[in-house]
Amino acid sequence: MSYFIELVASGLAIGAIYGLVAMSFAVIYKATGIVNFAQGEMGMLTAYTSWTIATTLGTDAVTTVLVAVVAGAILGLVCERLIMRPMLGEPVLSVVLVTVGLAVVLRSLVTMIWGAAPHKFAIGGADTILQIGGIGVRASQLTVIAVLLLAIAGFWFFLQHSRFGVAMRAVAADEKTARLMGISTARVQAVAWAAASGLAGLAGAFFAVIYGLAPTIFEIGLKAFPATVLGGFDSVLGSAASGLIIGVLENLVGGYLPSTLKEIAGFVLILVVLMVRPFGLFGEKRIERV
Amino acid sequence: MRSGYFKQGYGELVGLTDSPAVKGWTAALLAALVVAPLVLSSYLLSHVTIILFTLVGALGLMVLTGFTGLISLGHVGFLMLGGYAYAIGVTRFGLPPELALLMSAVVPALFGLVVGIPSLRLHGLYLAITTLAFAHIVSAGILGGGQFTGAGSGIMVERPVMFGMDLSSDRAFYWFCLAMCVLAVLVALNLRRTYIGRALIAIRDNDIAARTMGISLVRYKLLAFLVSAALTGVAGALMGIYMSIVSVEGYPFLLSIEALAIIIVGGIGSVLGAVFGTVFIVTMPELFATLMSMVGGRWADTLTTAAHEVKTILYGVAIIAFLRFDPRGLRGIWHDVRHAWVFWPLRY
Repeated sequence: MSYFIELVASGLAIGAIYGLVAMSFAVIYKATGIVNFAQGEMGMLTAYTSWTIATTLGTDAVTTVLVAVVAGAILGLVCERLIMRPMLGEPVLSVVLVTVGLAVVLRSLVTMIWGAAPHKFAIGGADTILQIGGIGVRASQLTVIAVLLLAIAGFWFFLQHSRFGVAMRAVAADEKTARLMGISTARVQAVAWAAASGLAGLAGAFFAVIYGLAPTIFEIGLKAFPATVLGGFDSVLGSAASGLIIGVLENLVGGYLPSTLKEIAGFVLILVVLMVRPFGLFGEKRIERV
Repeated sequence: MRSGYFKQGYGELVGLTDSPAVKGWTAALLAALVVAPLVLSSYLLSHVTIILFTLVGALGLMVLTGFTGLISLGHVGFLMLGGYAYAIGVTRFGLPPELALLMSAVVPALFGLVVGIPSLRLHGLYLAITTLAFAHIVSAGILGGGQFTGAGSGIMVERPVMFGMDLSSDRAFYWFCLAMCVLAVLVALNLRRTYIGRALIAIRDNDIAARTMGISLVRYKLLAFLVSAALTGVAGALMGIYMSIVSVEGYPFLLSIEALAIIIVGGIGSVLGAVFGTVFIVTMPELFATLMSMVGGRWADTLTTAAHEVKTILYGVAIIAFLRFDPRGLRGIWHDVRHAWVFWPLRY
């Protein structure tokens, strides 16, 4: 039984990371109607950047997390301005393929600059083991779950109550009408990209602290896909919750079944979900069917 | 100078070309390709061989993404299935190589049907993700297949004797690839101009309108997956024979991106585009390497230590640049150049 609880606990920690990335997918989708296939790579690049800053300047845990968020947001703004903004109004297929290209470039860039060898992202107090109800949990694992909950609350408030959040939902609902009402689509898109890659940066940095820094971090993007699909692309909060579901599921499968199944558990789950509810668990029932 | 295009019958509208010049140049190109192995160095020969079998796979993706508009990120899954179907057919079941090659088309085609079923309910991105999931599931299945699939270590494939031709020499294998490639080009070209091809294009351009005109989306989307998977599977088998081994690492996910890059750079929706794209994407890293080594010094060093990364960055940049600046791809540029040449000094 305690094995089961341990699996669930570490599943929740990795699930919180997936949840953050899944939220970032959903934020961009909600504001622009496209899926950014480079989200995992953004997280990876941010993780490496904040590692470099943390090791050269010797910053403490809280500062490093802030650095990750800010670095992520700047990266998002740059990508949006240089690559995505000129694609406004192009067919969705082209825009999505551009993000695929961006993913490939970022992934190789990181390997070229920092090398393929893994590093240890050591940060004060992250590896402290805390005993909760008989099982040991690392401080960083607890923190990432708390960060996800904070992010959920923050985004809920932002989307429901702030002027900009409402504008973002308006653009998502009907871009043309929103523009006629005086909302700047470009600015909404820029903010969405900054917020999304800030979230992805957080996820990347936490992943690096907990599991080590390696060029395979971009896989959090692949793992968070199922979560976003499960939650519904247009549901930011649903995606976050689905991240936790996928994380726990993956860990349980990895704990009880052959290890190759762990890698594809999420994908198998979404194949089933997509066949039954193509709009996800929490998404709007709007998807076209043929 | 030609003074315009006049079509006098329906047959001419679907004809592959009405220009004697195009026929002449195509024949010249084919003749050149046939005698090429007698002239080229072994390095260049292997390069052209790679282009030939890559083109078969690129045409596979072109049928699905270019003609029908269904994005697939999982084509490496079909490549893998093709390669393994051939290798398992030859080594485990002792099939004759010709039959195994047929299996490498049939097995992926059957899986293509299975992946195609969700495409009836899912659009765009959701489908892209489903195909991505498919590729991961195929590689996990092969890794978990134990003795039968060779798990992590893969299966060694010997160069076979096919149709009475010993493919163990590089020249013979080149000719074999050339034959397969010409066959694939003919399949794609002819598919494009039949009722089926026009139905696929209609689905790409507007699926609701296509359905109102009596095109069965179920039938034609599944057919697109079937043809696409079969072509890609053959390419996978040829790749396996070329490398003498099929293994999961031999078919990295990057190949899916490379295939996308090929059809985008070449020009989505045209067979000529697939040819241009393949030549460009396969040759670009080599050209770049030569260029860098000519510059010498630190640049050449970077390239040898990080050759793989530089190559991928080039793919990515090529994809972004073409989508951003000329979505019609190389075929569009070719079209403009040809137009200017034919009608010079007039604009049109």
